[in-house]
Amino acid sequence: MASIPTSRLSSLLLLLGSVALAGAATVTYDFNVSWVTANPDGMAERPTIGINGQWPIPIIEANVGDQLVVNVLNSLGDESTSLHFHGLFMEGSTHMDGPSQVSQCPIPPGSSFTYNFTVCHFSPSSKGRYLSNSSQQINQPGTYWYHSHTRGQYPDGLRGPMIIHDPKTPFKDRYDEELVLSVSDWYHDRMPGLLKFFMSKANPTGAEPVPNAALFNETQNLEVLVKPGKTYLFRMVNIGAFAGQYVWFEGHNITILEVDGIYTQPAEASMIYLSAAQRCSFLLTTRNDTSENFPFVASMDTTLFDTLPEDLNYNVTGWLVYDKKEPLPEPAEIPGDFEPHDDMTLVPWDNQTLYTNPDQSISLDVIMDNLNDGANYAFFNNITYTSPKVPTLYTALSAGDLATNPAVYGEYTHPFVLEKDQVVEIIVNNLDSGRHPFHLHGHAFQAVWRSEEEGGTFQDSGTTDADFPKIPMRRDTLVLYPDGNVVLRFKANNPGVWLFHCHIEWHVQSGLMATFVEAPLELQKTIEIPKDHLAACAADGIPSKGNAAGNAADFLDLSGQNAPPGPVAKGFTTRGIIALAFSCLSGIIGVIVIAWYGFADISPETYDEARHRIAESDLVAPAVEEPVAQRVETVPVVSGSGAGTSRT
Amino acid sequence: MAVDVFSVPVFLVVFREALETVIIVSVLLAFLKQTLDGPNRDLKVYKKLVRQVWLGTALGFLLCLIIGAALIGVFYTVGANKWDTTELDYEGAFCLIASVIITVVGFTLLRIGKMQEKWRVKLAAAMEAPIHTGGKMGVVKRFFEKYAMFALPFITVLREGIEAIVFVAGVTFSAPATAVPLPVVVGLIVGALIGYILYKSGSSTRLQVFLVASTCLLYLVAAGLFSRAVWSFEQQRWNKIIGGDAAELGTGVGSYDIDKSVWHTECCSPYVNGGNGWGFFNAIFGWTNAATYGSVISYNVYWLFVISSLLVIRFREVKGRWPLRKAKAPVALVEPEQSGSEGSVKDGSVPAKAVAARENAIEEKP
Repeated sequence: MASIPTSRLSSLLLLLGSVALAGAATVTYDFNVSWVTANPDGMAERPTIGINGQWPIPIIEANVGDQLVVNVLNSLGDESTSLHFHGLFMEGSTHMDGPSQVSQCPIPPGSSFTYNFTVCHFSPSSKGRYLSNSSQQINQPGTYWYHSHTRGQYPDGLRGPMIIHDPKTPFKDRYDEELVLSVSDWYHDRMPGLLKFFMSKANPTGAEPVPNAALFNETQNLEVLVKPGKTYLFRMVNIGAFAGQYVWFEGHNITILEVDGIYTQPAEASMIYLSAAQRCSFLLTTRNDTSENFPFVASMDTTLFDTLPEDLNYNVTGWLVYDKKEPLPEPAEIPGDFEPHDDMTLVPWDNQTLYTNPDQSISLDVIMDNLNDGANYAFFNNITYTSPKVPTLYTALSAGDLATNPAVYGEYTHPFVLEKDQVVEIIVNNLDSGRHPFHLHGHAFQAVWRSEEEGGTFQDSGTTDADFPKIPMRRDTLVLYPDGNVVLRFKANNPGVWLFHCHIEWHVQSGLMATFVEAPLELQKTIEIPKDHLAACAADGIPSKGNAAGNAADFLDLSGQNAPPGPVAKGFTTRGIIALAFSCLSGIIGVIVIAWYGFADISPETYDEARHRIAESDLVAPAVEEPVAQRVETVPVVSGSGAGTSRT
Repeated sequence: MAVDVFSVPVFLVVFREALETVIIVSVLLAFLKQTLDGPNRDLKVYKKLVRQVWLGTALGFLLCLIIGAALIGVFYTVGANKWDTTELDYEGAFCLIASVIITVVGFTLLRIGKMQEKWRVKLAAAMEAPIHTGGKMGVVKRFFEKYAMFALPFITVLREGIEAIVFVAGVTFSAPATAVPLPVVVGLIVGALIGYILYKSGSSTRLQVFLVASTCLLYLVAAGLFSRAVWSFEQQRWNKIIGGDAAELGTGVGSYDIDKSVWHTECCSPYVNGGNGWGFFNAIFGWTNAATYGSVISYNVYWLFVISSLLVIRFREVKGRWPLRKAKAPVALVEPEQSGSEGSVKDGSVPAKAVAARENAIEEKP
């Protein structure tokens, strides 16, 4: 286990040297995605998605301005896949963004697929001009990650850090070495089975499966060898599926320099919170004294879990190892509540000012509710995301002028069409009692407002622009607090099809997702879908033209589009009314029959009377003294007539 | 607020269960009084049966207390509400047993109305007959014949009592303990009082009207119980599927299996907050706000069974034979009459047909 950080460190340094020499180079990765066996927490071996026969999968590294080529071969055999490069803006290459049925078709087993893009980004000061193909330094340095964006797949292993080095970083002189540290949650069961349970009537409350373990660098008891008196740049990524993590280093403070690829003014912290998909770079200066090793801990945010299994160790520990001969102490208990650094207080290094007067304001309410199949779904307003039949980007490219009409993308992709260079505001009101880390593809948004827990809706809070910071923090994944709200703003300066979704993988599956179609007419002029991308569609029989329903003839005819189950039937439907009516009828008839039977009795008087009458009319038999047998013969007649008389 | 000393749900639960119990006990007592304490009184048998009724009630109550005490002990020692995990299975089983007993005894109640004299003899015979003769089925049949007056109140009290204990225990553990005793006592008193009034009025009503009316009521209860038994078993399975107690979900989605639902209303649950009156509908008509295919079909099947049984029995009474069979030659009835007159009291192992014939024969005695 100790070898992992060392080997990572050496390879990282090696690569750092090579890319620095190459300048604006083409960096190529050949990824053969296949099943391997892994047991990172030592508790259960399980099939895990590896790359080139290995897991953990490699860290992707490149320099700003580099051309990245990732050749993927899907050797999984039983699952389709795709890769999303989380946090990269994909300017001019939205078709390389990776979400299945959004910007591509899933890569079917046995197929190859190439992601080819430039690591760069748009300058906020350049007023909407593209710089993607220029050789400028305005690029996207920082800490990112890549993961599958197909059917809740990445928690099965297909997730890894991605580092874009910046030779001209403003913090160049402030640290000696870089270290990559991922934190994640781990399940002992494969996602398809867990998802099947999660999205079933057996889980009506939508309780997300609770992870079985927490991991550092996809292992436990990680030992990070450090030298005394040095400053390290830690690049931390939460590559987990679900759990946010509190992270702290005993005996050391840290200085935050970057969140989600955005450099910040240095900020001191003793503890940080990283939700799923968030990143944070920070400086950590080691002590001069090597007599002691120090634990560092990531603790899963258990408030997210519906249940807390007794055997779950929600902490994972690593150590800053100053001296291998010294013991590795157990971490101390944290008394009271965790108090992580508030990311909203961070100030971007570039001092980009608040976008004002948004051209388009989109308000989304987060709601959890059940549909007619009994499963629990997640909604933005009244829509739970359902994949279209045609990837949304392909619809945008084939719809002609209708591409600006949201209808063609289908009701259940929850589409919003953005015009070029609009300032867009997203208000998210959390009507749910859980935390949700919201992620926007293709942009880092200004996080202009976040209420406390129980803050209610933004509309009710009376907050205005005057309350927003002049220089808001930016990142691409922001935590929304329970029953609170957030306001995000960004400039629609990156034509593409971008998802906005909760990065809890369970909620991706349950539909907490909306689609932004940004400047689709621009896309039609600039994007050409590569052949291997179209081949992926063809292999699965997915149309690559047409509206969300796959209709390429009439883009406004969406009959047959994919739709979620209907709403839950409340009260009495026809079926219920018939059943109740039938039951009532049964009961009434039953009571009548009982009464009929009960009153059809021959009371002693009528019995005697009848018997007497019969006895008198019977010419043959002198009644009373006759043997018993003869009277028995008359029974049916007597009873029958008796019943008749008593009824009248 | 008064809530602190008077938990309304506890009151409703206890009241409901007490009333249900007293109704059944009082129906039995009224029946006994009117059949055996009338002009053809058989004081010995009457007292014996009344004793059985009270013994059943008392034993049921005692067992309830013991089980309740044991349960509460378990609650506190184990700390977990183990009972909850299987509560519905128990409830279902008790419902089913109670339903079957009411159905069987209900037939007899009606027959008694028809053949008071016969029943008197029959009961007397049952009381004195040895149990040990006959095969297994015979033993069971004899046991219920002989001890129906014991078994019915016993099972009823046990079921209602345990149900009340579970409810009350549940509330006790989630609400201040001070809120429990008063409603329990008041619930018991009010329930018993209303039951007593019913009993009194029952006694003074004309026999036939009372018997028919109360039997109708009993069968409505039994149909509800039968349906509830099926519902409880299904709900237990559902609890197992969702890995918890669906009652914790209130009446919302997830508190029931959507694929088996026939109707479901958010309101009007007989279980949430002691039922708020819907519990009475549940107790008497088997109302549920979450009907399933199982519960609806079983309710209707139950009535179908009762209706067709009554029709068949009536057919036989009128025609002297079962439907779809040829009319018997009158002579054939002579034999059973003779054997019946000899064997009805002593012989416990005669075949069912002979017993039936014998009953006819007894009816004929003046």
